[in-house]
Amino acid sequence: MLVTGIKSKPVYAPLRADTRGRFHLMLGVSEGAAPLLRVLREMQSQAPQALGATRVLLAPGVPATGASPAGGGTEAPVHSLCDFGDLPLQPERSFNDVPALLAELRSSLETALMGTRLYLAGPESFIGLAMKIAFEFNLNKDEVRAEQVGTLARRVYCVHCRATTENVRTNIVRCLGCARWLLVRDHYSRRLAAYMGVMVDAEVPGELPPIQEVFV
Amino acid sequence: MSEQQTLAVEVSAVEQITPLIKHFTLSRIGGGNLPAFSGGSHIVVVMRAGAHSDAGRGNTRVHRNPYSLLSSPHRLDVYEIGVRRMEESRGGSHFMHDQVDVGTHLEIAHPVNLFALDKIARKHVLIAGGIGITPFLAQLEDLHHGRVPYELHYCVRSPEHAAFLPRLREREGDRIRMYYDSEGHAVDYDGLLSSQPLGTHVYVCGPAGMINHAADTARRWGWPDSHIHWEQFSAPPVGDAFDVFLARSNLRVHVPHDQSLMESIEGAGVEIPYLCRGGVCGFCQTKVLAVEGEIVHNDHFLSDADRGKYIMPCVSRARCKRLVLDL
Repeated sequence: MLVTGIKSKPVYAPLRADTRGRFHLMLGVSEGAAPLLRVLREMQSQAPQALGATRVLLAPGVPATGASPAGGGTEAPVHSLCDFGDLPLQPERSFNDVPALLAELRSSLETALMGTRLYLAGPESFIGLAMKIAFEFNLNKDEVRAEQVGTLARRVYCVHCRATTENVRTNIVRCLGCARWLLVRDHYSRRLAAYMGVMVDAEVPGELPPIQEVFV
Repeated sequence: MSEQQTLAVEVSAVEQITPLIKHFTLSRIGGGNLPAFSGGSHIVVVMRAGAHSDAGRGNTRVHRNPYSLLSSPHRLDVYEIGVRRMEESRGGSHFMHDQVDVGTHLEIAHPVNLFALDKIARKHVLIAGGIGITPFLAQLEDLHHGRVPYELHYCVRSPEHAAFLPRLREREGDRIRMYYDSEGHAVDYDGLLSSQPLGTHVYVCGPAGMINHAADTARRWGWPDSHIHWEQFSAPPVGDAFDVFLARSNLRVHVPHDQSLMESIEGAGVEIPYLCRGGVCGFCQTKVLAVEGEIVHNDHFLSDADRGKYIMPCVSRARCKRLVLDL
């Protein structure tokens, strides 16, 4: 039922250091600290002076599985903070949740200069929200890099009532705004940082395909 | 772009505004509006040298030179262009300066924009050298009424060479920073490009050396290519004469030393699609079927990998015994 091959679906690649940049801002959520550490090691060997112009912002304790707060069964944060101790970075900062981390991203970009590169590592919904902020500051694809680690749970935008339902792990979900059953499409909006959800039983109300957990 | 798609215009005003630059105003023959365009667009003026003169030498040589539109995109009853007389003109700029006057009819190609402002930039830094001011004059029409901050750095040899300065000063006031070579002024590229806020775009139009220096400096300060924009309409380089064989047309064409490959092919009656005629847009990319000798690539478009297989006939040439193109 899902249409595959939709071009707007984001594609991620393993993070690499971009040493052509002059400042490096790295954000990691939950298991995202590990890819950042890998990039920092790469930088250390290629252009060690870049480490002094690098800031790392982490939200290490966010549940990596994307368990919905409402859904119960929240897992304890399993992540143990990677050790950045031996790297000559600007002091890294830790945040309790994604909103706090994104607020710091926004205020950092307000004063950032041209030459800044942004690195994102973490669950897909976090990457989308961070990229949305980055695009507001006119950062282009050659300035932002992202590696997805952790949950693929989606933010789903209801094309009927415009509400966004967070942490969606199933192919079909009930919209939090209008209670319609939505098919979660691969059609992605960078502006909204969300996948599109379209009413799935419009023709025969109540007739739903099997609901499966697909975005884990 | 084929000949059928040109517009017939009439020169309605000509003004010598600096020792080297003439300002032409073009109107549609018979009146009416010209096609809409956005700031940074250029037109290609088709000049039939010989056709206007009464020398009657018989062989008409056609020049097609790109010129930025400097008039307001909000005003379509006229197009305005600025033409600098090139010291080593292959004919185009001298034709415009010496043979075109009020009332002259010209053909122009529809406007094309290869130097547009980034619509979601947070700041624009414009750097002009000499005649390179022209695309910015049209872009400033939009910037002036917008909310995005911008600054213009305008470099000329000396005050008498500062084309369109009164027009700029009237509207922009002190937002223009002037640099006169004669006074020893120079743009502090490091200072300018090391301190711009995130989301700034830099646009450079001027001599090749200026463009290269500005772009290299920006990259050195970490600017990604997507924020660096430049445009330069350089005349196609001259070189050795050579022959080319057009395989599909089954036609042998001689390329004289002072004519471009594209001009020579057009002269033989074969049209090649083009937009910029400056080795940038990629429109005229042509497959090389065989070459004995060396292709002299003068474009800014082909990757190193593609340079073995393709040629941009608008600016590139060959030093060869034999060249066969897929045309």
